[in-house]
Amino acid sequence: MSAEKKSVENNDILIKVVDLKKNFGDLQVLKGVSEDIRKGEVVSVIGPSGGGKSTFLRCLNLLEIPDGGKVYFEGVDITDKSVDINKHRQKMGMVFQHFNVFPNMTVGENITMAPVLLGKKTKEEADKLADELLLRVGLSDKKNEYPQKLSGGQKQRLAIVRALAMEPDVMLFDEPTSALDPEMVGEVLQVIKELVKTGMTTVIVTHEMGFAKEISDRVLFMDGGIIAEEGTPEEVFENPKNPRTKEFLSKVLY
Amino acid sequence: MIENIVRVWEKYWPLFVQGIGMTLLLSAIIVLCGSILGFLIALLRMSKLKVFHIKPLNAIASIYVEIIRGTPMLLQLYFFYFLLPEMLPFMNLPPIVCVTVALCLNSAAYVSEVIRAGIQGIDKGQSEAARSLGLNQRQAMMKVVLPQAIKNILPALGNEFVMMIKDTSLASTFFAGELMTVYKTVSGIVYLPIEPLIIVGIVYLVVTFSLSKLVQLFERRMATA
Repeated sequence: MSAEKKSVENNDILIKVVDLKKNFGDLQVLKGVSEDIRKGEVVSVIGPSGGGKSTFLRCLNLLEIPDGGKVYFEGVDITDKSVDINKHRQKMGMVFQHFNVFPNMTVGENITMAPVLLGKKTKEEADKLADELLLRVGLSDKKNEYPQKLSGGQKQRLAIVRALAMEPDVMLFDEPTSALDPEMVGEVLQVIKELVKTGMTTVIVTHEMGFAKEISDRVLFMDGGIIAEEGTPEEVFENPKNPRTKEFLSKVLY
Repeated sequence: MIENIVRVWEKYWPLFVQGIGMTLLLSAIIVLCGSILGFLIALLRMSKLKVFHIKPLNAIASIYVEIIRGTPMLLQLYFFYFLLPEMLPFMNLPPIVCVTVALCLNSAAYVSEVIRAGIQGIDKGQSEAARSLGLNQRQAMMKVVLPQAIKNILPALGNEFVMMIKDTSLASTFFAGELMTVYKTVSGIVYLPIEPLIIVGIVYLVVTFSLSKLVQLFERRMATA
């Protein structure tokens, strides 16, 4: 396989980001970000708006095409144009701020569509998996409903299991609770918390500081297009070294 | 006046029926060709193919749509009426064919805009979510974006069809044999300008009204699905 020669040696590393750069017009959103995400690791990305958090996350599965740098996923450079990105995206689940559930499909179809269409599962297998997943997030009775009838929190739980139905190796969360009414934040965080317990590698961009502190193995503080500080939750939240981290935390923690 | 209308209808109804037939045939051809061509043009306009810094397919489609939308339809009819026989002298094209081609090309431009607006009206997050699951661009379009876009497109497309049916009347400039041509013929025979016009107007109304009702029915069916 031609992918072999581009392999990164360390087997433990699931996603390796090297000197990632991204511009929107004249605005440089990512100014050279390097980072390793290890298997089973839970990484939270925090920081002020416009700091590049979401762009960083969206570059990991190439929803944004980087202008420079490399992203290796399971040892393969997925920024290489000869790579079939669709194959790799099947292994990277993503959850969006605005849910993006498919309104033209029932809850069940939302979950089974991709695995069946992409030949990962038969209709029956996918259906069975959908039942299990819906049970896990407490939506069993909604299987034949259309998403229009769901609350925000229910939609986001559906979006999470839709991604899980592809049995991904990593889950990417892009501010999964930012568009929710306050009373629905808890139910979604609970689902993510349980997912993390299963050992799923997780990268989550979030403004829920308490949550980030609780579930993360590592926290990245992004500001001005770079990772300004990183460390364990204790290091970043209790004892930030960078003045910008301090300033940011003083504004969001009260 | 009503007496006259009845008399004209009784005497010349076969002509009117012929005209209706021609109008419906013309409309059907234009709706069909316009829709297919319009869909293709919409795809061109949304193509992301880039050569250096320009998108050639996108540019060609945009220029086409701007020219069609920016010039009078009657001018376009004249243009093709004279241009096509000149370009293809060996084919001996009857005027009706030239006129039909012009009407099709015209409707394609409008239909393409309706389709493009419908597709681009779907939130970008929908195709992103589909792509994030591993669907390729075509699968995301067919499974996720288009089924939603159709609900936006259909009502507007129905209006386009109604417009097209009415626009076939312009073909009477070249005596294409449709309803308005029949009006000219009949009014010339009976020396009455208004009565045949009312008959023709009622026929157009019946046709367009039935069509919009049909589209509404279809819409309601889609809304519940």
